[in-house]
Amino acid sequence: MNRGVVMNKPIPEQKKVAPFMLFYIVASIQIGVGILSFQRDLVKVTGYDGWISIIINGIGTIILIWMIVQMTTTIEGDLLDIVSFSLGKWISKLIGLFYMLYFSLFSITVLRNYVEMIQVWMFPKLPIFWFSLVILLLVLYVVYGGFRTVAGISFFSFFLPMYIFPLFLFTVPHADFTNLLPIFDHSVKELFFGSYQMSLSILGFESILFVYPFLKEPKKAIKWAYLAIIFTISIYLYLALLSFSYFSEAQLVKNHWPTLTMWKIIRLPFVERFEYIGIATWCLIVLPNICISLWIASRLAKQIFFIRQKQALLFISGIVLIVTSMIMKRSQVLFVSQLLGKIGFFANYCFIPILYFITMFAKKVKKQ
Amino acid sequence: MKQIQLITLLFFFLLLSGCVEREILDEIILMEGIGFDYVEGGDITGTILYPDYKKETEPENVTYSATGEIMKTILQDIERQAARPIAFGSLEIVIFDLELAKKRGILDLIDAFQRDPAIGSGIYLAISENKAKELFKGEYGLRGNARFISMLIDHNIRHEDLPKTNLQRFMGDFYQQGKTPYLPLIKQNSKTKIELSGVALLKYGKIVDVVSNEQSFFFKLLADKYSNGLHRVEVDGKEAAVQSIISTNRFELTSRDPLHITVHIKIGGTINEFTGNKLTDSFIKKIEKKFEKEIQKHCTQLIKRFQEKEIDPIGFGHFVKSKTRNFDFNQWWDSEYSQMEVTIKPVVTIDEEGIIE
Repeated sequence: MNRGVVMNKPIPEQKKVAPFMLFYIVASIQIGVGILSFQRDLVKVTGYDGWISIIINGIGTIILIWMIVQMTTTIEGDLLDIVSFSLGKWISKLIGLFYMLYFSLFSITVLRNYVEMIQVWMFPKLPIFWFSLVILLLVLYVVYGGFRTVAGISFFSFFLPMYIFPLFLFTVPHADFTNLLPIFDHSVKELFFGSYQMSLSILGFESILFVYPFLKEPKKAIKWAYLAIIFTISIYLYLALLSFSYFSEAQLVKNHWPTLTMWKIIRLPFVERFEYIGIATWCLIVLPNICISLWIASRLAKQIFFIRQKQALLFISGIVLIVTSMIMKRSQVLFVSQLLGKIGFFANYCFIPILYFITMFAKKVKKQ
Repeated sequence: MKQIQLITLLFFFLLLSGCVEREILDEIILMEGIGFDYVEGGDITGTILYPDYKKETEPENVTYSATGEIMKTILQDIERQAARPIAFGSLEIVIFDLELAKKRGILDLIDAFQRDPAIGSGIYLAISENKAKELFKGEYGLRGNARFISMLIDHNIRHEDLPKTNLQRFMGDFYQQGKTPYLPLIKQNSKTKIELSGVALLKYGKIVDVVSNEQSFFFKLLADKYSNGLHRVEVDGKEAAVQSIISTNRFELTSRDPLHITVHIKIGGTINEFTGNKLTDSFIKKIEKKFEKEIQKHCTQLIKRFQEKEIDPIGFGHFVKSKTRNFDFNQWWDSEYSQMEVTIKPVVTIDEEGIIE
């Protein structure tokens, strides 16, 4: 018998979303605050060869997605089902707890980074607590609507801020594309370390492991997951190539938010500084990040502790609010971001492959 | 339930709008220009310039000055004199006085402009032969002095001999190891007139050399990918003014040991003015040949000069780096750059000669 069913009732059909929604969910959780500053950490390691690291990372991520897809389709369930199938029920609870904390930390990092961005670029006096409270109320409102609303928000947050990306082309008249030459000026080791740095920015695709049971015709959704990765990787590549040719290397390393600094060159007749519009729009990009991660965290809490998801959500948001307002300095924000990056790297790039092999092994053993 | 949620949300939005500082346009000083002058003893005098808009007349140029060590203390002093807070958002031009750029360097002053999120990276930096304080006190145009100076620079970049420059390019060149930055040089002729007097070449924030107006046409050919401008060519005692319509340059690494670079410059132009009687095809050929020779001569002279002064505003170092793996900049600046040979290969084609023969 499939032991996963012990924990999860099957999801009713009216709560599920269309397969193509997986694209928007994955793409919108992957593009968040990391995209504003990834060039900096990348260039520190790989210089202008950083774009190669992005491609390496993309290929690695696609392999991971393939593993995730293999696991979810053979077990037909979410992460908890997979782990309880291969490692037992108690370990699955432990892993679930780990991912719950991880996704809570994810939302804290995204929220706090966004608040910091507003404080530095626009309003230095913005109180962290009140702003986080309002955003979290909005998130509660969305997540209370259930998974379909969360998916809907990620759909809108994908399309509405789209107009931002062509605006980076304003840098082209001041760009020097020969900066990118010579190619392969760095060792393979450096390139791989660069792609490790990159992995911190594109966290979020592991959400497939949790939203899988909510997809109608999950087999059809697979191609959308791959497309989402290809999309985010090409957005990162696009921004990397533009910023590498626009900034010189040492200048890029000095900038905290290279992506935002690129907007400083934009000057339109009706708006002197574009960053203000851009940062306000970024709220739409940040919103689904927090919604999806808190939805996953609260769903995990529901599955592990057998409580109602709404209660779990209230509790987790409360903690997120408190922790977010306790992070005061830039150094602390950086620390939390790096912590999340390290945990995320472990959770995605170490744990998932191991789980994949164990699951495939367990499946073979059980067949015999 | 839904309504209560909505009302609480609205409540918090109202609450939050009081959380940040308001800045009403009429109640702040929108600084458009800032200038720095050298004072004996190492201090700096900073002068800010803003237009005071009045009803139905031209804006009045208002300046405030203060002396201090770093920009922010100067600004603090200026705030003490001003009745309204000063905002940076519409800064257009930053002027450094020549003496300051020679003796103290301008780098530490630029940091604040990069650091401030409110300041765009498209603002112009320029060096003034006169004191910035005096420069700002003139009356140059209908739209205020800062606008005038920035439009002067903008126009000369677009249509004349000034290579592209702004804050981003300056900092980009500065941080690029194989390049040194340059800035436009301006001069006040009278209370109501200023002019562009050349291009200042800097190293580590200090002026090392100046390219005069006569040579800035050739400098732009080398430093900027596309350029236009006018140059006068004299052949057989007759003079022709050739307007370059399109020009491109392309670098080629012809040999590594010894290091040799060929710069291909292509110009397509028209003849604007001619003092002779009749422009024949053969004469146009002569003008083209003469023009090519002059480009060769002046550009080679310029590069030789840059090599002697150990500056590289054209970016040869950056070019060679983009062709070499594991490039060593120390060695480049120590020996390779000064020994580098450059050949200029210009091709001039004059396609049009105006509407008369």
